[in-house]
Amino acid sequence: MSNKDVMLMAHLMRRVGFGSSKDELEKYVKNGYDNQVDLIIDSEPNYEISKHLINRYQPDYGSPMGNTSNGASWLYKMIWSDSPFKEKISLFWHGIFATGYAKLANGIVLHDQIKMFSKFGLGNYRDLLIQLSKDPAMIIWLDNCESHKGAVNENYGRELLELFSMGTGNYTEKDIKEASRAFTGWTIANKDYMTTKSQRDSVWPYGRLAMHFEYKEDDHDGDEKIFLGEKGFFNGEDIIDIICKQKATAKFISRHMYSFFVEDEPPVPEWPYKEPNNPQAIELLSEVYFDTGYNIKEMLRFLFKSEFFKSEKVWNKRVKSPIELVAGTLRITKEFERPDKQQSSANSHTSFMGQHAMNPPSVEGWHWGTEWLDSGTVVERVNFSSSKLGNVNNSGIRKIIDNVKSNISNQDSTDFLIENILEELGSIIISKTTKDTLKDFIDSKINSLESLNDENMSELLQLIGAMPEFQRA
Amino acid sequence: MTTSFEIKTKKTMGLAAMQGRGFYYPFDLAFDSNDRIYVLGRGHDYDPRGARITVMDMEEEYYGTFASFGDKDGQFIWPSSIAISNKDKIYVSDEYLNKITIMSTEGDLISSFGKFGNSEGEFDGPNGLVFDDNNQLYVVDHKNGRIQVFDEDGNYIRQFSSEGESEGKLNLPWGITHHSDDSLYISDWGNHRIQEFSTSGEFIRTIGAKGNNEKNLLHPSSCAIDDLGYIYISDWGNHKLKVFDNKGNFLCSNRGEATLSKWAQDFLDTNVQEKEARLKANLVFELESFEDDPFTESSHVEKLFWCPTSLSFHKEKLLIVDSSRHRIQVFNKVQKI
Repeated sequence: MSNKDVMLMAHLMRRVGFGSSKDELEKYVKNGYDNQVDLIIDSEPNYEISKHLINRYQPDYGSPMGNTSNGASWLYKMIWSDSPFKEKISLFWHGIFATGYAKLANGIVLHDQIKMFSKFGLGNYRDLLIQLSKDPAMIIWLDNCESHKGAVNENYGRELLELFSMGTGNYTEKDIKEASRAFTGWTIANKDYMTTKSQRDSVWPYGRLAMHFEYKEDDHDGDEKIFLGEKGFFNGEDIIDIICKQKATAKFISRHMYSFFVEDEPPVPEWPYKEPNNPQAIELLSEVYFDTGYNIKEMLRFLFKSEFFKSEKVWNKRVKSPIELVAGTLRITKEFERPDKQQSSANSHTSFMGQHAMNPPSVEGWHWGTEWLDSGTVVERVNFSSSKLGNVNNSGIRKIIDNVKSNISNQDSTDFLIENILEELGSIIISKTTKDTLKDFIDSKINSLESLNDENMSELLQLIGAMPEFQRA
Repeated sequence: MTTSFEIKTKKTMGLAAMQGRGFYYPFDLAFDSNDRIYVLGRGHDYDPRGARITVMDMEEEYYGTFASFGDKDGQFIWPSSIAISNKDKIYVSDEYLNKITIMSTEGDLISSFGKFGNSEGEFDGPNGLVFDDNNQLYVVDHKNGRIQVFDEDGNYIRQFSSEGESEGKLNLPWGITHHSDDSLYISDWGNHRIQEFSTSGEFIRTIGAKGNNEKNLLHPSSCAIDDLGYIYISDWGNHKLKVFDNKGNFLCSNRGEATLSKWAQDFLDTNVQEKEARLKANLVFELESFEDDPFTESSHVEKLFWCPTSLSFHKEKLLIVDSSRHRIQVFNKVQKI
């Protein structure tokens, strides 16, 4: 097993999930890289016991009255799941189809939307867009329940084209109007009662109610439409069929995948004016999109096995989003082996860092990449990761310390110690400058490696948590 | 002669309310000697106002609330269960603070006992509480997988059972009930069964087994026994009330039949816009997406049980704390023909 194989596997696991431990990486490398990609993509997690455990102790996590419990509940899955890829996919779609609590005032429909991403997020893009168009949270968020035959609301039609499929510059205002007409009648059941409750932020009489899609034939504009050059008596599904056939859609979704899984692209509003970082990769992904009938899973299988993904040039280059940073850190520390009130506190840190799950700043979602890092959020990020890694009472940290101590002797070098710790943390890559800083710190603290105690290890781990490299995946 | 058996909805009590008149994730209830009901609210981590005790009666007369969220004496973080002694002292377990708080029915703090640990008198998640006829308090020390017995002042007396899966052992137990024949019924949540013990701790029998079909249980939270020895179980994971006869044979189940409580009706009468919209809504329906997922079904259909946490008899009425719907569903006792 070469070190490079381990490093490549570590890169894969940081991108498909939230990072893996040394033990896990060694096991995965033995599977072989391509086999491991297939295992990750094709596996199904089992959440049953954790779901019941969570709901027993934290009832609002399953039947949320507000919004904050949603993120905390989701964070449990990211931390506990034996297949975090599923949650990563939901996070990917949540970033694109960003829907927020502010307008809905109902945590359950957002909870259900994330469940929908989990169920359909690796299937066919057409099916996903149809489910999205029927999703009660999206229907309220973009006012499609207020779009009627003869009184069309264009919000959903516009964002479907601009933010969810093709991107600006690839359609006309007339196309937006025609798409919006096609989605009239796509609403939620008991619309008046549900929207009244949302507008009044009402939990009465008996808490929030989940919602479901309803198609109202008598409110649908069934007249002829012309959309992207095609003419017909289109309904919503027909519009999505036409959208999915477009090259612009293939490129748009490919660029999103590249940005989320390979390397940070500029924010979406800049895409019409800036070429992709790797146009060839986008072309290749677009080909897979059409060759596989818009199959998301197959696009990702291709992406993870591609040379552009495996290239060392993109290792550890993506800035972790706040949710990725918090989930990845808590998977290392393993401090929530059972539901705990402190989990709610940990989840709040993602908001302090600028990413409140299910409460995006706008319909455009969050701007990823280096925009996560400003003077305020960096302090929050560093404080969080370094305090968590430095807590020797966390079982995951205890195990790392014990493993490192059992591996070193006085004859070993400081370099060896640092490499050992970085391996235990998931084969983190650091620069020479950072390594020199760590060496200086160790040399200033101890005379010999065997005298390394918990306090030294805690300080060293805190320092690693504060490194710029720990903020990236 | 064939005997049929059914239970019938009597009424629904309560209202979702972060503070004041109503409940916020109620977990348990108890009656004092004046028939006042003390409903223990759990609240949740992001809104601590729900951690309180709401006082009411069967006619839904409201007498106020007391206690609050916090880690000081007389406050709760994760309150779990409530019991009232024959001297009308209120006992509340807190599975986060690992202690039992004793209060008067006016809400005045009397004392508290317990701390984290697994030695005698220590707790790891104290949960269900019940008094026997001798005023001895049984505490479900759930993460320690045992039952600890105390006198009414909190002095340790004895303990029984241990963590495990075999008969007589417990896995994250939740509720505990004392039967008039001096036995105890423990909701063995993690093992999906009810176990009967003598008050001295001898295992007697098991009722139910894991499953999501009619006759089986999924994470039962609580049970109550009627004067015939029939066993009524809040089947928390299946979101149902289930009834077994005194031999442990399944009799019937109920998925929940909530109606508008007096407090709920008051709310709607003063919020006309919501009332009118509600009157036009169809709140009972079936969807393919429910499949075999009662949790999701309960999130959509308001009348159904959603995570029933506690169940008890009071004067022939069966009261079920319907936690995630913030109310109490009341059933008439057994109808036999």
